Amino acid sequence: MSTPALELTGLKKSFGKAEIIRGIDLSIGKAERHAIIGPNGAGKSTLFNLITARFAPTEGHVKLHGQDLTGLQPFQINRMGLSRSFQITNIFPKMSVFENVRCALLWSQGYKYSFWNLVARSRRLTEGAEAILDQINLLERRDMPAGMLSYAEQRALEIGITIAGGADVIMLDEPTAGMSHSETDYITDLILKVTEGKTLIMVEHDMGVVFGLADRISVLVYGEIIATGKPEDVRGDPKVQEAYLGAALEAEH
Amino acid sequence: MELILVNLIDGLVTGLLLFMLSAGLTLIFSMMGVLNFAHASFYMLGAYFAYQISIALGFWMGLLLAPLIVGVIGAGVERYGLRRVHQYGHVPELIFTFGLALLIEELVQFIWGKNQMPYSVPEVLDFTAFSIAGNSIPAFKIFMIFISIAIFIGLLFILTKTRVGMIIQAALSYPRTVEALGHNVPLIFMGVFGVGTALAGVAGVIAGPVLGTFPGMAFVLGSIVFVTIVIGGLGSLWGALVASLLIGWITTFAKSYNIAMSDILNGIGIATPENLGDSALRDLWTVTSPQIADILPYILMVLILIFRPAGLFGKRES
Amino acid sequence: MTDQITTDPTKPAQRMRAGSMTITIGPWIVAAIALMAMPYIFTSNSALTIMNQMWITVVFALAYNMLLGQGGMLSFGHAVYAGVGGFACMHIMNMSDLFAAMPLPVLPIFGGLFGMGLAMIVGAFSTRSAGTVFAMISLGVGELIAACSVIIVAFFGGEEGISGDRTYAMPFFGNEFLQQIDVYYLTSFWVLVSAVLMYLWSRTPVGRMANAVRDNPERAEFLGYSARWVRFYSFVASGFFAGVAGGLFAINYEILTEENLNTASSGVILLVTFLGGVGFFFGPIIGAIAFTLLQTVLSLQTELWAFYAGTLFVATVMFFPGGLAGLLMMHVPAFKLGKANLLVVPYIKTLIPAAIGVFGLCALVEMVFHFRHAATGDDEMTVFWMTFDSHTIMPWIIAVVVTAVGFGIMRMTAPAMKEAWNAANTAGGKS
Repeated sequence: MSTPALELTGLKKSFGKAEIIRGIDLSIGKAERHAIIGPNGAGKSTLFNLITARFAPTEGHVKLHGQDLTGLQPFQINRMGLSRSFQITNIFPKMSVFENVRCALLWSQGYKYSFWNLVARSRRLTEGAEAILDQINLLERRDMPAGMLSYAEQRALEIGITIAGGADVIMLDEPTAGMSHSETDYITDLILKVTEGKTLIMVEHDMGVVFGLADRISVLVYGEIIATGKPEDVRGDPKVQEAYLGAALEAEH
Repeated sequence: MELILVNLIDGLVTGLLLFMLSAGLTLIFSMMGVLNFAHASFYMLGAYFAYQISIALGFWMGLLLAPLIVGVIGAGVERYGLRRVHQYGHVPELIFTFGLALLIEELVQFIWGKNQMPYSVPEVLDFTAFSIAGNSIPAFKIFMIFISIAIFIGLLFILTKTRVGMIIQAALSYPRTVEALGHNVPLIFMGVFGVGTALAGVAGVIAGPVLGTFPGMAFVLGSIVFVTIVIGGLGSLWGALVASLLIGWITTFAKSYNIAMSDILNGIGIATPENLGDSALRDLWTVTSPQIADILPYILMVLILIFRPAGLFGKRES
Repeated sequence: MTDQITTDPTKPAQRMRAGSMTITIGPWIVAAIALMAMPYIFTSNSALTIMNQMWITVVFALAYNMLLGQGGMLSFGHAVYAGVGGFACMHIMNMSDLFAAMPLPVLPIFGGLFGMGLAMIVGAFSTRSAGTVFAMISLGVGELIAACSVIIVAFFGGEEGISGDRTYAMPFFGNEFLQQIDVYYLTSFWVLVSAVLMYLWSRTPVGRMANAVRDNPERAEFLGYSARWVRFYSFVASGFFAGVAGGLFAINYEILTEENLNTASSGVILLVTFLGGVGFFFGPIIGAIAFTLLQTVLSLQTELWAFYAGTLFVATVMFFPGGLAGLLMMHVPAFKLGKANLLVVPYIKTLIPAAIGVFGLCALVEMVFHFRHAATGDDEMTVFWMTFDSHTIMPWIIAVVVTAVGFGIMRMTAPAMKEAWNAANTAGGKS
């Protein structure tokens, strides 16, 4: 069996006395679309931030393509082929839409900290950025400041920036948060399109969104994964039912 | 031994004076996230106002009124200046307070001219409190120590024991929540800014007669105060206290003991080169501790930043 | 180059870009011609001195804006990089053997290298974070080096500073730079070269990423770039060009002192840059020109010029954070819509009374100052070419009336100007 794209072993995280993530083992294969769902407060965002090294784990390891990520900086992890989006829209608002995508391409095209190349002269950069813009349907907004886009467009741009670097592991943090139904459908289609052949890990609060999208689903409740499997299996799992219904009942009180 | 005691007292005076400034600066910083570059300018205003008031009404009225006026001006600056600039972000805020510092210095020169003001210690306190081995300790210094400590205790009491203090502490960490609870956070901000600048004003009133009341006084102390809070850790009140005292003592001791660099280097076994006269390193060898006393805080800051970037008591940068 | 972007005129975006490629060379040619022609327009020696000062400030301000405007790093101690570059050049001037083998125009490169070297050392720990911490470190390091100038006499020359003679350099095509005009062309050459290089820098990958890190360091990290190293590169490049400015200063004035290093100089360059506008590349150029003019003209007229400069600065931060360049660029949409002419009359109606009001206010300020600080018996003063007795009541009444009337009319006409502004920026119902 080949090395999984992402592997979590015994991952734990505590903030003070509160243990938020209580031992997670998970293995996500190459080119798999994997969704992590769970009710509010289950620790989804914490898990996400652990994987992307925004937080350091209290215990356990995260391995990307078999390599341990402990102690690495975000930019180093990115260079190893993991790219993430953020729950709160996180783009460069003052720069143009095109510029946003072009910046995302620079490292993967090998420019590094170059100060002897002019970005406007590189046909590969321009075409690459335009191809991405085309994919996320923002070609017409090319020269607008990114901060002036609509919310859904900003989210689309964020996904564009995330995939632009050519990373083969893409992590999306609640990509449809705060969207209307039609916007959600639009973004879901977009995600399907741009993650073709890549490993996708997405955290989502809304169960409905992920069923059409994910190959496998993990359900996170109170810092533990209570079920992992194909969407239909997970849906039928009594523990999952209980967790979600229980949370819903609690919320009613 | 006696000299050490004298220096300890002198250093304490300087340190507490620094702390009065750095405490206000830290409060303002941790609450609003803005480092008030003009903080020392309010200290200067305190001294000048107190001088002006002391001519008409005497020193004690100056001590009472000048900080109040400074505090009101400070609150006004927050309300009509900073709050406006706030929307542009942190860097413009910092630039604004920097511009304000320039402007206040020019304003002071405009009103009082460039010369030092004859603002002096009041007669009641103009005597020697006691002597240590021939070194007289003026009563005013003891008075300064008491005022500073009294203010510090008062501040601690207000912050930890009163309702207002609770609200301020809560607003420091969770401004949104506190606002949602129905407290007027902008008003709290304005109040804290006012109180912080008033503290600087008090420092000015009591330091003016000793350190001199002149247009450059803000600048002389100002950059040291910033260094202090960086060393202590931005936003940490205890850090500010420790760093203030540390700097107070270090500079005082460096000034009173004349240690040349060559002594230190010889002490650790490096012999002085023969032909020092031509060497480019000559200045390094002949440098003495009083010479570098004033830059020691900066050296300390650079070292702290290299080895402990968050400062002595600072939380890790997020 | 064949690597040029293929233009497809059917795509509006590409048409725009194709246009911008050709325009980018235009301003530089204009600038070069202007630089060459200036001495023929302003022939006096004092004009040459002012222009030299201006160009040096331009280089320094552009270098400063690499940090502030493009990298989002606020430095309160940037004068030390220019200063150290200048001091290094001064020492080279004094090494007669070396200097005799070096043509003078090469010297600023060494200034740049020394500025860059210092920036590498300081940047190694100061660029870890931007914002307040960076600002504080820059202040501390600036103070530290400025204070060292009186201690490390061998390099900084103590109180007197270091002086030298630029004419000992190897003659450059027979030119020994004896005349002010020779120095002018040397400075102009360096201004143009530095400005072009700094502009091109902003178009390189690392220059683009400097903007990205400024706006959103966390996002930039997830694009594979270390925010710290991006800042470091900007900082080092800025140190280089600051050092070049220092070298030009050394050539011009042939003396450097502690004043070139201290926080006041650092403050001035912040003021210049911000006044000009940090948001646009050419902002600092405007700032440097405007500030130098203001400084030379005002400081001849009044003792209070620093007070006015401070007021102007604070007003800029509060009301026009885009600076002069921002004010200019605000008008671009109106010009594009062809409606700029709508603004002319309202501007005249509002801004001229405002200017009169400001003049009145300045007169009042000057009179207060004179009243308070002039020696006893010296009652006579001159404001705006009028001489009068500041201890009589009449001038005060006139000044107050002028101020009140000026600002009064401004307040009356301001709403009309605002309307005209809205109208000029509205095209077909969409703003």
